[in-house]
Formats: sequence, structure tokens, C-alpha cells
Amino acid sequence: MLKMTHIRKVFRTDLVETHALRDISLNVAEGEFITITGPSGCGKTTFLNIAGLLETWTDGQYLLDGQDVAALSDFQRAKLRNQKIGFIFQSFNLMPDLNLFDNVDVPLRYRGMKGAERKDRIERALDSVGLLSRKKHLPSQLSGGQQQRVAIARALVGEPRFLLADEPTGNLDSNTAEGVMELLQSINDAGTTIIMVTHDPSLASRSARNIHFLDGRIAESDHIAVAGQLEAVS
Amino acid sequence: MEFGPILRALLRNKLGVVLIALQIAFTMTVIVNAVYIINQRGELMQRPSGVDEDNLFHIRSIGFGENFNEELAITDDLDRLRQTPGVVDATVINAIPVSNSGSSTGFSLEPGDRGSMVPSAIYYAGHRSLNTMGLELIAGVDFAESDVLIRPASSNTNAGSVIITRALAERLFSADAQSAVGQSIFTPSGQAIRVIGVVRQLQGPWPLWPEIENSAIFPEIVIDGSSMYLIRTEAGEQDRLMPAVEEMLAASNDQRILRQLRTMADTREESYRIDSVMTRILYVVIATLIFITAMGIVGLAVFSINRRRKQIGTRRALGATQGAILRYFLLENVMISGIGVLAGAALSIAFNIFLVQTFNMPRIDWFYIPAGMLVLLLVGQLAVVGPSRAAARIAPALATRSV
Repeated sequence: MLKMTHIRKVFRTDLVETHALRDISLNVAEGEFITITGPSGCGKTTFLNIAGLLETWTDGQYLLDGQDVAALSDFQRAKLRNQKIGFIFQSFNLMPDLNLFDNVDVPLRYRGMKGAERKDRIERALDSVGLLSRKKHLPSQLSGGQQQRVAIARALVGEPRFLLADEPTGNLDSNTAEGVMELLQSINDAGTTIIMVTHDPSLASRSARNIHFLDGRIAESDHIAVAGQLEAVS
Repeated sequence: MEFGPILRALLRNKLGVVLIALQIAFTMTVIVNAVYIINQRGELMQRPSGVDEDNLFHIRSIGFGENFNEELAITDDLDRLRQTPGVVDATVINAIPVSNSGSSTGFSLEPGDRGSMVPSAIYYAGHRSLNTMGLELIAGVDFAESDVLIRPASSNTNAGSVIITRALAERLFSADAQSAVGQSIFTPSGQAIRVIGVVRQLQGPWPLWPEIENSAIFPEIVIDGSSMYLIRTEAGEQDRLMPAVEEMLAASNDQRILRQLRTMADTREESYRIDSVMTRILYVVIATLIFITAMGIVGLAVFSINRRRKQIGTRRALGATQGAILRYFLLENVMISGIGVLAGAALSIAFNIFLVQTFNMPRIDWFYIPAGMLVLLLVGQLAVVGPSRAAARIAPALATRSV
């Protein structure tokens, strides 16, 4: 599904060079649930950005579904993100001026889907996170956990094969976080590949594989379950 | 297109939208009416006067010496002028068309019928006045030398014949110009005057007078101490002849002074100066308002984009192409500007009604409204292109940053 080989990312300014990722090589198979852990500044989010085609990299090869994505134009990357990748952000990143229906609708509009099909998908997605009855509400009228559920519905509505979650429970209390994790687990059980960045070791322990980043490198890769499906190179 | 979500989002942030829409509406109201006024003034200034303006100049002779004989001076001066090489013809006249100074009267078809008098400018001119002014006689005949009446200013008796403009003929007789020839018209004092000819056009002296096309030429020379000579030159000779004529007239008679040596073009420009200045001021007002409105739109767009940088990054992460972001902000601007120009259309009409009722201005032509709407929409789009392009360049990675 995802294959990175010797990926490096260097941020350059006039005065300094910052090596955010140093020689990352990683294979993620279809249907895996991987967590990424590590201290602040270790490169977790940079890795996630590159995996999600939000950012370019300095060196190395990245194959997504067998396709070398390095040569893609900005337009092609946007289309690929829209069609294959779902994002869940730590601070939910909902549009505060749009109601839940319109928020979930955002990625579908960029896909050029017809109104009737969009409506059907949006309602199913909101229903799957238990918020269909509140589709006309604004994000500000929901709790943090509910907002993250909406964000998950938005990530799932396009039926992506690959879900990237950047500390999705980081802004939630433990009970709510547990609910979100169960939701992610069920999404993974349904076949969606998930890579999740987290600070929480207890959450990391619930994934099939945890990759620990340190100073821009993969320091450790633990196969926790379904080991036969996985291959990690560190 | 994201028409619905954008509209719903705008409705949740009304203040900025309303302020910009109001600014657009106000700008459109002023612009539409100002452009209409400019065009009206332009049409007024472009109207032909009927005379050969490019080749006419005039000079006033004012006698002061004890031995000055105005009648003899006129005869002598006209002879000299007509014999000057490069001069087509010359005459003496009481007023210059579109000069803002002259005389008027009223004519009726019955003596003493003051109720149905048609207003008209009157020119008292000597022999060969039609050829001097370059007027086109479309019916009847020109004055004969013997028609010319030389009279003191104190006399109220006019010559017995007159040449009128086609506009005056049509107003008086409600028929074609030819049928006016030979008919009598009456002055306010009840004197009958026979129409011997009709010219195509000769404007009166007052540019803003509604009856400017109604003029009558009497074959009269009024002796009042001051004579205005109108001189028509061959094409391209005017600049050379003006100082030469002034010098020649000054040398021929030292009992008078010469004043107001001017071309017809200068006289027209002077008469329309206020209109011309007003037009320029209105252009400045229009340009300033458009600039301020455009800057307002840019300001709102930049503020709005800076406030939503993370949202834009999130949209990019969710699959928005740069083109989609650009279209989003252009569409949002069209909707804000659309509200503004719709309000502007209503305000423009209301303001025009106020101008019509208060200043007796003509009603605005309908097409100024859609044209104004289109221009303001275009200004809005041009103003927002830069900020929208900047928004489109926001990196999708901004979605995962914490600030």
C-alpha cells in the first residue's frame, strides 16, 4: 500500500538546515493499523505530512499503491489525496462557519460528485458516527469528542483506502478518546489502512504495529499483532 | 460550485459582508450617475453649433475718440477684412454662438399672441453673415445688401425680414422648413417680420439653454459704440491672420480700441469650461471611489484569507486543488459584490429619481444600471485575484500545524 525507501526531509533556511527525517524506510500493507510515537520534534508529523502528500521530501522514493508519487504535480497530488487518503487532525479542523453536513461535504465537492450521491454518502457517514440527527448544527455546538467524530465522518465519506490520523485523541478526555479509538478500530476492521500519530503509549499498544520515531529516524518497530501481514525496516 | 456553503458561511459573518456590499452599492450609485452626467455633458459639448467653428475668429472694436464714426468704421473695416488674402468673408454681428452672451426674444404667428410665443435667440448681423458663419441655407434666399437696416440701439424697430433656423421654423409652423418661407412672424411688440430663408442649424449663445437650436438672424447693424467682427478664414489661415487682422484694424483707425480677439474654438471652450472641469472632477471621483472600493475588497479578502489559513490548508489536504481555492474566493467575492451591485442598482435608480426631481436632470438610460453592475463585479474580481492566488498557494501541510 505504502512503501517509503530512504526518505529524507531537510528544512532549509538561510542560516540553518533542520533534518526532520533521516533515512526513513517503511512498508505498510493494505489493512494495517500502525501507530507512530515519539517525542515532540522527532519528525512524526513531518512523516505523516509526507505520507499524506501534504509535503514534499528531499530525497528517497515513495510509492503509494505502487505509484511513484514524487513526480506528481500539485494538481495530481490534490486529486490523489481526495480519492485515496482520509485525514483526521488533532484539533479537528472543521470549518466553523459550515454546519456538519457541509463540513462532511467538503471532500466530496472536490471530487465533483453529484448532489444526490453526496447527500446519501454524507448522511451515511454522519450516521456511522452517531451524529446524523445533528447535521444542521455548527461545530461550535458540539463537544470535542463529537467534533472529532464529525472529522472522522469527513475523513471516511470519500471511502479512502488510507486514513492518516494526527493525534486524533490529543484534545479529548480519556473517555471520549476511548470512543474515538473504538471507532478507528472498527474502521480498520472494515479494511481501511490507518496510520496514527499519538503520544499515548496505551493507544499505541492497541495497534498492530507501533513505530517509534527518535530524532528523525525510526528507532523501534514493534509488531504487536497480525505479524504475518507486516514488514518494517528500521 | 460551492454556492450554497459559501452563502451559508457568509450569512454567519454578516458584518464584513454588509460593509463591503454597502461600499460597492454606494460606489455604484455614484459611478452610474456620474458617468451618466459625464456622457450628458459630453453630448452637450459635442453638439455642432452650425457655424464653421474651425475657421472663425472674432474681434471687438470699441470707439472712444470724439471723431469716431462707427457706421463708417464698420463699412471701412469690413471692406479691408474682405480684401485681406486668406479671409473668406467677414460680417458684423451682435453676439457669437455658444459664447454665453447674446439676446433673445419670442415669436408668434399672430400679433400680440404672447401666450404662444416661441423663444428664440436673435442675431443682428450685417450683409454676408450666412457665408461668414458658414451656415447652410436649406430654403428661401439670403439677405440682399439692401435688406440691411442700420439703426441705433435705442430703436426697437426691426428689419422687415428674417432668416430662421429649421428648428425654429418647425416649432413655429409645425411643418417643413420650406413652408415657413414667405410667412410672417410677429415680435412681442407686434411687428410683422417676413421669413425669407431657413438655415439648417445655428445655435443660440447659451450652451445650456433648452431652446438653443431656435435662432433668428435679422439683417441689422446696431450702432452702439461697439462692433463685433466675425471673420471666416480659409482652412489653416486662422493663426496667421488673427494678429495680422488686429494689426491692420489698429493701424486703420486710431479712434478705437480692439478687444476680445478670440477664435470660435476658444469661445466654445470658455463657454463649456465649467462642464469640462466638472467632467474632470467626476472622473477623479469615479477613479478614487473605484480605487477605495477595490482596496476595501482587497482588505476584506486578505483579512478573510489570513483568518482562514488553516481552513484553506485543511481544504487543500482534503483534496482542493489550487484552482478550487482560487475559484472559492472568486465566487465568494462575486456573491458579496452581487449583493452590493443589486443594492447599488436600487440606490442608483433612487438617486437618479432624486436628481430628476430636484435638479430637473434627465432620467438615466436603463442600460447604465447593468453596465454599472458589470463594471463593479469586474472591479471586485480583479481586486480579489491577487489575494485569492495567495490563498491558493497556501500549503496543505498547514492543516497539521498547531498554529
